[in-house]
Amino acid sequence: MHAISFTALILSMLAAVGLTATAGMKALKDDFDTVALLEKGQILLTVVVLAVSAVLLQALAARDFSYVYVRDYTDTFLPLFYAVTAFWAGQNGSFLFWYLCVAVMGWCMIYTPGYSRLDSRTKVFFWILFFLVEIFFLFALTGPSNPFMKLDPVPAEGRGLNPLLQNPGMIFHPPLLFLGYAGYTIPCCLALASRLSGDSRQWLDLCRNWNIVAWIFLTSGIILGAWWSYMELGWGGYWAWDPVENASLIPWLAGTAFIHTAIVGRTRKSLLRTNVFMVALTFLLCFFATFVVRSGMIDSLHAFGGSRMGIPLFVFMVAALLLTLYVCLVQREDDSAHIDDFASRPGMLFLTSWLFLCLGGIVFLGVLWPVISSLWSENPVGLDAGFYNRVCLPLFAVLALIMAVCPWFSQKSGISDKTGLGLVLGAGVGAAVAVFALGYAQPLALFSATSGFMMIFSITLYFVRNKGARAFLPSWGAYGVHLGVALMVVGVAFSGPYKVESEAVLTKGQSMTVGDYEIVFNELTHDHDNPAMDVHAALLTVTRDGQAVGDLAPEKRLYRNFEQSTFAEVSVIPSLGEEIYSTLLGFNEEGAVSLKISVNPLVNWIWIGGTLSCLIAFLCWRKIERR
Amino acid sequence: MKPESVMSTAKNQKWVYLAAVLLVGAGVGYLLFSGLSQNSVYFLNVSEALAMPAEKLTQARLFGSVSEKDLVHDPSAMGVSFFVQDKDDPAQAIRVHYKGAVPDTFKVGVEVILEGSFAADTRIFEATSLLTKCPSKYEKNEKGRMRPPGFAG
Repeated sequence: MHAISFTALILSMLAAVGLTATAGMKALKDDFDTVALLEKGQILLTVVVLAVSAVLLQALAARDFSYVYVRDYTDTFLPLFYAVTAFWAGQNGSFLFWYLCVAVMGWCMIYTPGYSRLDSRTKVFFWILFFLVEIFFLFALTGPSNPFMKLDPVPAEGRGLNPLLQNPGMIFHPPLLFLGYAGYTIPCCLALASRLSGDSRQWLDLCRNWNIVAWIFLTSGIILGAWWSYMELGWGGYWAWDPVENASLIPWLAGTAFIHTAIVGRTRKSLLRTNVFMVALTFLLCFFATFVVRSGMIDSLHAFGGSRMGIPLFVFMVAALLLTLYVCLVQREDDSAHIDDFASRPGMLFLTSWLFLCLGGIVFLGVLWPVISSLWSENPVGLDAGFYNRVCLPLFAVLALIMAVCPWFSQKSGISDKTGLGLVLGAGVGAAVAVFALGYAQPLALFSATSGFMMIFSITLYFVRNKGARAFLPSWGAYGVHLGVALMVVGVAFSGPYKVESEAVLTKGQSMTVGDYEIVFNELTHDHDNPAMDVHAALLTVTRDGQAVGDLAPEKRLYRNFEQSTFAEVSVIPSLGEEIYSTLLGFNEEGAVSLKISVNPLVNWIWIGGTLSCLIAFLCWRKIERR
Repeated sequence: MKPESVMSTAKNQKWVYLAAVLLVGAGVGYLLFSGLSQNSVYFLNVSEALAMPAEKLTQARLFGSVSEKDLVHDPSAMGVSFFVQDKDDPAQAIRVHYKGAVPDTFKVGVEVILEGSFAADTRIFEATSLLTKCPSKYEKNEKGRMRPPGFAG
């Protein structure tokens, strides 16, 4: 099956190249009859990638160690569930998964109403661009990143999946990111194709739903990643500003800026070129994110050097960037010169997009700083997490403030509901005073929390006062997403600066104090009945002012295939207020344990807000009439 | 509205936008400047760090791997003292003192990222943070990291 799968991928690459060349040659002669052929080609490519993915999946499920990939990421002890997720645990498999998403989405595209409204000229350009992307993936999968490499002789046992990846978060986090990355392929190809064929207005409406879906995938992937690092990695935090985390944040920031410029583009029929550029930028940054991870250019916690994907990715990005610049700058046409008043919704959306782009630029700069600084510094200079907190968090807080006031501006000019805006500003002052009075006086936290509360109040009030918004489902979606964001802003504003953390070594019966809580260590248990791992757990009781709060049982696990390392399983007492979070750092023969305990105020609102944002965004979906 | 007033509004709006751009630019510029001046740290391999004068290394992020010589765990598991060696040239090594929670994945041979500063007199790197490289999030390290020796290769 190795050779068959590999050959199938090679053949589909050749087919894609052939189709692209044929369609391109005919397009040069103004012949656009190739649409049906191109669609059949896309279906063929999708069928092939589905088949080879099934082969890999089957091999993973059966632990067929004759595949290098299967040997590298699974073993016979691994539950089937996790063996299947090993599909995207490694580089080669994750590329296959990404390509699979792109191909399936392309196949779905053929049957969407939006696609039926395109003229054949645009369709041909669309498929040419789309095939070029697929050819890149097929090149990677048949060359530097081949998941079907054969191993001879076949080993009896595999290397196993990293225990950190054996977590429910790992099942969803990477595939959602890849679905998000893949999702931007269609809007980008459609935007460039529409502009190449001279129809630069319609595409924004037609790819709106694709754009929303891609955004939802990317957002939920990032939030799940944060949750995973909080719950599983025992890093204690949800966001460390690691280059790899940042790399997925950069396309998200660009994609979010694009969502806002697209609204201006659609409602005001302006920013035509800007929008094409924005969507292409988002797409490109998805590849940049991968480039950072794969190339080993940036030394990071997650990075791994020596991957052979660096140069192909770089060449692909440069080519795509040149094409985008050509389409946006060289192809001139009637871009509407109309500017709306700054004090209007389009003005606010504009400002929002700038800030998102600035944030993207800052994070980009931060990630690349070790490379940039080597231009003048003998030794590379990098930036620590403090840089991002200092520079980015105030801008996020300003964005929250803009979101709080934006609903009260009119579409054309000025403020549409002065009473509403007045109430929101009044509520803001009230919230600021209340937060300050409760003892949260750190300026940035105070500002962020106030902005967050203002947003919540503003959105609620807007729906109370505005019947039109209540009656229109997509506005529930749009405002619901922002309500979720507001909850996240409040969660970060408190859980960031007001986290209390303490480490201590305790013997049986001893206690420690963290914040207002007293934690007593009762006993250390040892469970060796589980065949996959050995589990040691510290049983703790938490009290506050003599009242029982709950029990904790942080664990240390020894996985069968990773004997030299132990892995901490954190234990929490979940709360919408202060969440108690515990990690068992270690223990000795006498039964003393060293513990890390933290109190994280309002941290769960981040996950609640994030979930709300991602789910309710589906209401933004709009039906497009078939032609 | 008369044509002139439309014109003048459009013109005014240009100034408003320009002012907004300048304001945003100034704010972002200020934040960037303060961030770059206060949160810059050297990113160094062990050999690069050894080549630098110690007094310049007030704040640094050090990349290297854990050497097998003289690794002393604090009995309470709240700290560790070890040599970090250059990834390419194991002969080059720096003594590290670290107080705090030692990550699960910390052991001999693992690649670590340290943040902290040099004590100029003792040539000891006082680390305030110790992170092991995210163990092959996507790719196994060929040197056998995270794997019992029998499985290496």
